[in-house]
Amino acid sequence: MVTMRRASPAALLGIAAVSAVVLVWSTPLLWMAIAAFRPQNFGGLDMAALWPDFTPTLANFAEALDSADFALLYLNTVVVCLGTLAVQLATVTLSGYAFARLRFPGKEWVFYGFLLQLMLVPPILIVPNLITITRLGLYDSLLGIMAPYFASAFGVFLMRQTFRTIPKDFEEAAIVDGASWWQLVWRVLVPLARPGMVAFGIVSVVSHWNEFLWPLMVISSPDNQTLTIGLASFTRGAESASQWGVIAAGTFLVAAPLLTAFALFQRQFVNSFLFSGVK
Amino acid sequence: MSRLASAALAAALTFAIGSGAASAATEIEMFFPVPVEGQLAKEMKRLIERFNTEHPDIKATPVYTGSYDETNIKTRAAIKAGRPPAAVIMSANFVLEYQINDEIQALDPLVAAGGETADAYMGRFWPALHGNARFAGKIWAVPFHNSTPLLYYNVDHFKEAGLDPSRPPATWAEWVDAAKKLTVRDGGSIKRYGVMIPGNYDYLGWIMTALTMSNGGLYYNPEFGGEVYYDSPSMLGALSLVDDMVHKHKVMPEGVTDGKAVSTAFFAGQASMVLLSTGSLSFIRENMKANYAVAFVPRNLRNAVAIGGASLIMPKGLSEEQKKASWTLINWLTGPEVSGHWSRFTGYFAPNKGAYELPEMKEFIAKNPDAKVALDQLQYAQSWFATYNTVAVRKALEDEVQAVLSGKRKPAEAVKAAQAKADEIMRPYVEQTALKLPN
Repeated sequence: MVTMRRASPAALLGIAAVSAVVLVWSTPLLWMAIAAFRPQNFGGLDMAALWPDFTPTLANFAEALDSADFALLYLNTVVVCLGTLAVQLATVTLSGYAFARLRFPGKEWVFYGFLLQLMLVPPILIVPNLITITRLGLYDSLLGIMAPYFASAFGVFLMRQTFRTIPKDFEEAAIVDGASWWQLVWRVLVPLARPGMVAFGIVSVVSHWNEFLWPLMVISSPDNQTLTIGLASFTRGAESASQWGVIAAGTFLVAAPLLTAFALFQRQFVNSFLFSGVK
Repeated sequence: MSRLASAALAAALTFAIGSGAASAATEIEMFFPVPVEGQLAKEMKRLIERFNTEHPDIKATPVYTGSYDETNIKTRAAIKAGRPPAAVIMSANFVLEYQINDEIQALDPLVAAGGETADAYMGRFWPALHGNARFAGKIWAVPFHNSTPLLYYNVDHFKEAGLDPSRPPATWAEWVDAAKKLTVRDGGSIKRYGVMIPGNYDYLGWIMTALTMSNGGLYYNPEFGGEVYYDSPSMLGALSLVDDMVHKHKVMPEGVTDGKAVSTAFFAGQASMVLLSTGSLSFIRENMKANYAVAFVPRNLRNAVAIGGASLIMPKGLSEEQKKASWTLINWLTGPEVSGHWSRFTGYFAPNKGAYELPEMKEFIAKNPDAKVALDQLQYAQSWFATYNTVAVRKALEDEVQAVLSGKRKPAEAVKAAQAKADEIMRPYVEQTALKLPN
């Protein structure tokens, strides 16, 4: 017999608490979505209101789209994010495997040396990196934005930890069947480590999608600009007030692809993060 | 994915064709920041397109480089990496450091090649702008757009509070008095503030400069980049005024208010008087619904403000053709006509005095009395603080002022701490210069 399970007061309280947290965390997003459709309004206090009390308008989007070549900006940003990720996945998988499974002298020291990179604040590397990029002839190119990220200390660390959670039995069975080392990596470890790779992929794409300072340093021609620079060129100013509606619409355009991707693959994302322990 | 790839290919092809056709012209890059709100980046691109059409032998590319501070970082990095831009619109007070580091060209030879004396060349710009452009015996920069802080006030609030909007506060005493009358309280909470000032980095330092100068201070040694006067009576007085407005008179909000929040509060009628840049004039004129007017920054001992804004500089390491092309661009951008146009578009005043002789500018000033006030204040303007490592030295003070605004420090301790920090930052330079003595 099926009975309606009544939620206990404690559970209700929990749901209320979670809802409150969700509301607080989503406020900026909600405000952005609402402000993007709000008619330009400088004089009113309702500018900060979350309640849509107006006739929605697309004027802000029209102005934002008119202010920058968004098609090109999207294309450049996608090329940078996916290009970086593709190379990173190869490098972090191989070096993660080396640090997790291979034995070689000084392995620990090399690994800690790698981790040291995580302690560096990126801005101090701007000048040396830019000099290297220029010598390689990559100044003002998308490849120049990507190159410094091809080796990721965080990714190597994550993949090493992921590989170490996989029981050695799988590999030993494969070795008995005559697999070479690269077959081990490609056919045994990589499929089992997919959640870790997805988690790393998300962190990588999101951070490069949002990055501002480094692309600003490398890129000079407007044709090579990424979304963040395009957005900043018409929304940022130090000495004056803001056209909040246009800023919200522009930010909406920049964030929309990532938000959509998250909505579509929410379950996989959450699972990957749970699995890999990345928060 | 294939569509993406073909789009990329198409983009690459058009780019290649485009750059191939123009290869006969001298190619130069100009870095420009967007310091104020509005469609500045777009307007700058339009201007440069016009320049390129009028000068078929030059192909200039405008490169958006973020804020003043980011433009500084990018310019320095590009110079170090061996890819100097041909011209940069640089915050006027950063120019000194480029000269100290020997990274920019002195412009005197180019001036001389044009058959003019340095004095005649500088003579076309307002005198207040000379200090940040011509120093150590040479011309290092050409003023492009400049500003001063200005007191913006809400005329309707003035009438409501029984104040005469045609007589804005001219002294600190009148300013505090007006602020008290304009502040609207509702029990313990404040519904409208009498005064607001921007508390974010860069802006705050500039506003404190204006207040210190209005209090008779110098702020820094204009002749030597290794001295600032933070621990001085004029600065202490200025900072105490700010502290009193927040904590004693309670006419200004506690904590750090960003410049954008200040103008938004002014638009929304939540602040009656604000100190903001003249660079915001056009934006406020277009978007403020209530009646407003502008006035000089109130004085304690004298009327004095520091200039702000940016100048064009030319990095070293350019070819002769690039230098020539860059010089043509710089003079085109700072000529009366373009200068006046940019001034009307942004609100900055035009550095070139000739701009105000043009009929369209005369008409504009007649129609907009607020622009006239900004121009009148210019005769009391002085050079902008510039030292060795300007940004860090500025931040040493700003951090302390922010602590005072938040009620964590008293003004007297704050100025001492700021002075100590600034001295420490400037020590390497001071030891190489003023303290380098004969053995």
